[in-house]
Amino acid sequence: MRNRFLIVLTLLVLVSLVVAACAAPGGGTSAKKKIGLVTDVGGVNDKSFNQSAWAGVQKAVKEFGWEAKFIESKQPTDYEKNIDQFATEKYDVIVTVGFMMGDATAIKAKQYPNIKFAIIDYDYWPTKDSQICPETVKNCYDDGGLKNVTSLMFQEDQVGFLAGVLAGGMTKTGTICSVAGMEIPPVVRFVVGYQNGAKWIKPDVKTLNVYIPSFVDTPKGKETGQSMIGQGCDVVFGVGGNTGNGGLLAAKEKGLMAIGVDVDQYLTYPEVKDALLSSAAKNVDAAVYEYLKAVNNNTDKAGVFTANLQNDGVGLAPFHDWDSKIPQSVKDKIKQATEELKSGKLATGYKP
Amino acid sequence: MVKRTSALSDALQLAWVRLRRSLTTILLTAFGLVAAWALLNLVIGGQCDGKCVVDALAQTLRVATPIAFAAFCGVLCERAGVVDIGIEGKMLMAAMAAYSVNLFGFQLLQDALGPVAAGNVSRWLALVMAVASALLLAGLHAVFSIRFKSDQIISGTVINILAIGITGYMYRAFLAENLPAGPGTFPLVPIPLLAEIPVLGPILFHQKPLTYLMLALAVGIYWMLFYTQWGLRVRAVGEHPRAADTLGIDVLRTRYINTLLGGVVAGLGGAWFTLEAVDVFSPLMTNGLGFIGLAAMIFGKWNPFGALLGALLFGLGNSVTATVSIFRPDIPSQIPQMLPYLLTIIVLTGVVGRAVAPAADGQPYEKS
Repeated sequence: MRNRFLIVLTLLVLVSLVVAACAAPGGGTSAKKKIGLVTDVGGVNDKSFNQSAWAGVQKAVKEFGWEAKFIESKQPTDYEKNIDQFATEKYDVIVTVGFMMGDATAIKAKQYPNIKFAIIDYDYWPTKDSQICPETVKNCYDDGGLKNVTSLMFQEDQVGFLAGVLAGGMTKTGTICSVAGMEIPPVVRFVVGYQNGAKWIKPDVKTLNVYIPSFVDTPKGKETGQSMIGQGCDVVFGVGGNTGNGGLLAAKEKGLMAIGVDVDQYLTYPEVKDALLSSAAKNVDAAVYEYLKAVNNNTDKAGVFTANLQNDGVGLAPFHDWDSKIPQSVKDKIKQATEELKSGKLATGYKP
Repeated sequence: MVKRTSALSDALQLAWVRLRRSLTTILLTAFGLVAAWALLNLVIGGQCDGKCVVDALAQTLRVATPIAFAAFCGVLCERAGVVDIGIEGKMLMAAMAAYSVNLFGFQLLQDALGPVAAGNVSRWLALVMAVASALLLAGLHAVFSIRFKSDQIISGTVINILAIGITGYMYRAFLAENLPAGPGTFPLVPIPLLAEIPVLGPILFHQKPLTYLMLALAVGIYWMLFYTQWGLRVRAVGEHPRAADTLGIDVLRTRYINTLLGGVVAGLGGAWFTLEAVDVFSPLMTNGLGFIGLAAMIFGKWNPFGALLGALLFGLGNSVTATVSIFRPDIPSQIPQMLPYLLTIIVLTGVVGRAVAPAADGQPYEKS
């Protein structure tokens, strides 16, 4: 008897937790648009791109008088069911954050053709044996059936290149390194740009990089950063949510230099501000806001929108405390690289 | 008198057998390490010099620390017959408790004591609170699985989910934004003289306090389990609770105590994340190390030294991964990332052999 009672109790606890964790989005009037945001496993307070995406949504919602909710994915298997949750609540727009959600978003976009989807960091092109977008089409968005999906892409390699120029200009040991998260295209773009940028300003620079298959493993990021610091690295670029933040911590602990990612981490991650030269920012909030503004004006289109240096979608964050310590020659080089990348005279060396 | 000498010789013989067995293990491990080292150097083309090796081994010990704590928690619980898969949850909870107490305690104490003393006090206070929070969850698990005789796997799972929920909520509510500057982690505590020994010094004696504590606990728990009356009783309860009961051992009490002791150790493991590794908390930061600790426990056949070895092996795999990734960026990153797991499988199947759990592991005891 007691046993059965306990099983029931346990189940109740479980159910209540699941319900609480999913934070069921509430109803609302149908006149207002409802915007749903599904985060990746980093969560909405990741001091990085999930947080930035949510900031963009909030700005639009405030301006247009809509309402918005977010759901945090705790693991990759949550993606589809979190999208389902917004869809069954009749949300008008669902924003999915991150490359990892690419497949889930495509599948659900086909299932709910009347809902608009925007995904960050994933663009759809025909590939062999693909479930979501067959090879036979030319364009996944129109003839591939993803007529309701807008991809918000960023040229991370450009801003990574600028970060590399900064790192290459500042290094005293001649070795720079990066602590990277999972080896997915946006991360790879950052890293490749970073290394090539450093080589552009200082051809004999030694570049080290480690990919860590997680975006939440701060201790491992720090350990990896320490290993590379042991190899002489004195500028650490952290690319990968909380894992990358571990790399920044390692640099701070040793009194070296660090470069943040995605947002101006001087503001979002003050723990490491002493070491932070700058951040390779991608303005996810601006991209999401612009997209929602287009939705408001009914001018939104399916397809790929790329944010780059040309349209100020990516860029180096201010130097803050380091402003006086960065030599003018390095600043000039960054300016030169920015101009040449914009005009297409200089390539970042990233090949998809 | 005759009886006593024979008992003594029995004990000596037993010790010798044990020593021989562990010697074989040590030799095999050493051989494996040398082989792995030779192979590794072939792969990275001899780029890892002496300092790099020492760094990697020191890192191995650091990374192994939380895993070993988790494994010790498992050993303590399961030797008494309680399966505990809620270690991950306890560590996560302790990590959060330690972080928040360290941070906010420091703010309160800063004015009264000055920054240095306040940092020291708040860190130790945080350690105590970490242990207390894990103890609370361990108590929950104990009541569920000993008093109410519920399924221990379910109870452990509930604790894991509960910890994710509570820490996630607390993080969003209090720890995500606008935080004051904290006092940081425990500083390195090099042990005088010993830290000067070449090679061994920087690896073993140039670490932070919890790492030393972990090493001491390995010895302590081993001695307690196998050389004291208490340990004999615990093992009896884990193997054959009814027999133990007929001999007058309070089975339920023993299990309560061990589950709670396990909680203390898991709390120390959780504190490692935010008091020793990094001075930030992020949700899900234990990242499965609690479960890897359980694997280390099975690897070590429910023996603290074996468990430590298992944890070290996994830590070594991690260091090797980092080293290979650094020196050979041309190898796809997924291959070095497999190494710790691959190494674990090879050693588990090739070296360890069959691991037998305590006979009454996971079975609630009903007094008839």
